[in-house]
Amino acid sequence: MFIISEIVALLTTNLILTQALGTSTLFIAAGSRKNLLWTAVSISVFTTIGSFGACLLDSMLPDSLYDLKMLFYVLIIGMLYIISLTVLYFADRKDFGTTRKYIHVSAFNCAVMGTLFTISENAEAANLTMLDYICAGAEAGAGFILAAFVFTAAFKSLNSENVPSSFRGFPAALIYLGIISMAIYALM
Amino acid sequence: MMNNKMPATNGFIRKNAVLSGLMVISPVIVCGNTVMNALAFIYAFSAITFLSVAAGSFVPKKIPYGLRIIIYAVLGSLAYIPVKEAAEMFFPGVIERIGIYFMLIAVNSLITVQSEVKFYKYKKGKMLVSVMSHILGFDLVMLVVSAIRELLAYGTFCGRIVDAEVLISGLGMPFGGFIFLGLICGIYRWIVPGGKADEDFGGDRDVYNF
Amino acid sequence: MQNKTKSQRLIWIDIMMTLLTLAVMNFFYCGVRAIVLGLICMAVSFVSDIISLRLMHRRFTSDDLTCISDSLILYLMLPAIMDYRIAAIACVFATVAAKNVFGGRKNMIFSPAAAGYVFLFTSWKGNLLMYSQPHVHPDIFERAENLVNSASSMFNTTGRLNYNDFEILMGNVPGAVGTVSILLLAVSAIILLLRRDISVGAFFGTILGTAIFAFLVPVSTNPVDSLKYTLSMNMVLFSAIYIISDKRIAPRRNYYAFFYGFFIALFSYILVITTAKENAIVIVSLLFTPVALGFRNLEKRIDGLVKEEKQAEELWEAIKSGEYEIPEAVYDE
Repeated sequence: MFIISEIVALLTTNLILTQALGTSTLFIAAGSRKNLLWTAVSISVFTTIGSFGACLLDSMLPDSLYDLKMLFYVLIIGMLYIISLTVLYFADRKDFGTTRKYIHVSAFNCAVMGTLFTISENAEAANLTMLDYICAGAEAGAGFILAAFVFTAAFKSLNSENVPSSFRGFPAALIYLGIISMAIYALM
Repeated sequence: MMNNKMPATNGFIRKNAVLSGLMVISPVIVCGNTVMNALAFIYAFSAITFLSVAAGSFVPKKIPYGLRIIIYAVLGSLAYIPVKEAAEMFFPGVIERIGIYFMLIAVNSLITVQSEVKFYKYKKGKMLVSVMSHILGFDLVMLVVSAIRELLAYGTFCGRIVDAEVLISGLGMPFGGFIFLGLICGIYRWIVPGGKADEDFGGDRDVYNF
Repeated sequence: MQNKTKSQRLIWIDIMMTLLTLAVMNFFYCGVRAIVLGLICMAVSFVSDIISLRLMHRRFTSDDLTCISDSLILYLMLPAIMDYRIAAIACVFATVAAKNVFGGRKNMIFSPAAAGYVFLFTSWKGNLLMYSQPHVHPDIFERAENLVNSASSMFNTTGRLNYNDFEILMGNVPGAVGTVSILLLAVSAIILLLRRDISVGAFFGTILGTAIFAFLVPVSTNPVDSLKYTLSMNMVLFSAIYIISDKRIAPRRNYYAFFYGFFIALFSYILVITTAKENAIVIVSLLFTPVALGFRNLEKRIDGLVKEEKQAEELWEAIKSGEYEIPEAVYDE
């Protein structure tokens, strides 16, 4: 019962299915299963570690500088971006040329930034701790991976020759995600 | 690779950012449910994107790609501050309704990743025309989608009640936005020749080839 | 191919006969209005299917009459007092957005009836979940009055039902008549299972899953009552027959279909006992669409590998027996 409650929680707070964040990234990465999987994983890494940085910033940022929050979040993600590229370069120099694209696509996109802002908004109301921030970031990443699986399952059907040509691909995928999102909304 | 001979005004209809390019979808889905929200978003999106892309065109190409992306995002965040102040003056209360999507404009893909692919390959004059056409294309989609959704979901137009007997409240929700945008996109591709993206999934190849 | 088409048509005829019987029951309890609602649903689905197929440059054939059965399934889940316009919009959504946009009957992703129902649930929940009492025959153009919550709602919130077993079997309880006529549904299930018109694995997975959890984690104080009421309420039996066991959607192999049905039952039962969500099984069946698609992709892959292996074996046999000569170019390589 706990597992099912967790799955329901992952679905009802899902970035893509309830907030439409990261949909473009999902479509860009859906060209191949490998791209989709690694993009989802790198987004999860960014949301988890980024939420740690967001927690530190939120605790230190005075109210008078609230308008600069966006800028500081961008700088946090920017630092994470550089660090991850550096780590990847030294860890896997041979394949760096092919693997760096996942970092490029994952860093500055609505899924990551949206997660940080959503957690930050919830933190104001609920007095979250550092661990809560990190767990929320990891949950957002896991939700993205779940949405990626949901999308992959229908990928062939959405690109089938039977789908009318004007709906084949992106339009059918949007309607598919919309119907899944509708079912999740009915659960709430 | 980008065809530099494509007309700079393609971004308005033929290569519309939302319907053809699969970009900036989330605000249309979530915020594009009333005309007032859409107008506030359009104002912010147009101002931030134009200022950021214009400023970003001066960033030297010698700087490594990763740092350039960070600079574009920082420029977007800096452009966000005055735009937000003005939005609070002209559209009071709307920023609270739009929420985080207002802030996310600063890191929309037209500013961060797509600017190099779509705009910076042109000369300055043509680049500005291309940026404007993409922005206007987004604005048009946002307005049309929000007007129809507001009418069908809430029975109002720009906040004024219209005599509608049957309302589809689901159309005002994000899932309604997904489904409605999908239908609009399909109809758009049926009407506009060449409106289909070169490759829907996998997006613009240039994004993955750097 | 011809055999496959013939069997699909026979399946459709069988399903239509059972649905029409339920529609007659609907008329018995709710009067002419129920029939008018059904006719409107069928007509709207039919017309929207024709129009959308024309726009797709396809001819409407007799195989496309599945839109009628889908609309009937959706109709049987609605209260008889439902606004005709709302029902029509739901039928258009089910036919166009949930089916034809993805390629129609040749590329089914969602159950159109389930999608149409959940669309109604999210947009017109108040209209959908209020019913007239059985044997109250509203007029064709009468506005909804004196409506009550369904028996399922009462069961979900209190764990009890104030109806005897005979009333539950005959469907003499408030609710969508097509889904509470338990005796008729049971007979329909037996007929459709024996004629292999629905997925046996998915059906038994759903029923067994619901039964096991209703017994082990009872809603009522008495596990037997919990089992009895859980199976007859919340559209469980109806969904098990017409939505989850739909051969167009469920996995083809009974082994996978069983687990598909089982997990839908598990998920929806837990939603019922934790959140008292009415008719949760319909919502969950829509959510499990990616699971069904995943199973079908797996089945295709297995079939492909088996076919390749078989072809390789046949080729090897042919080479051994001398029927097939390996081209000389291969030796040269």
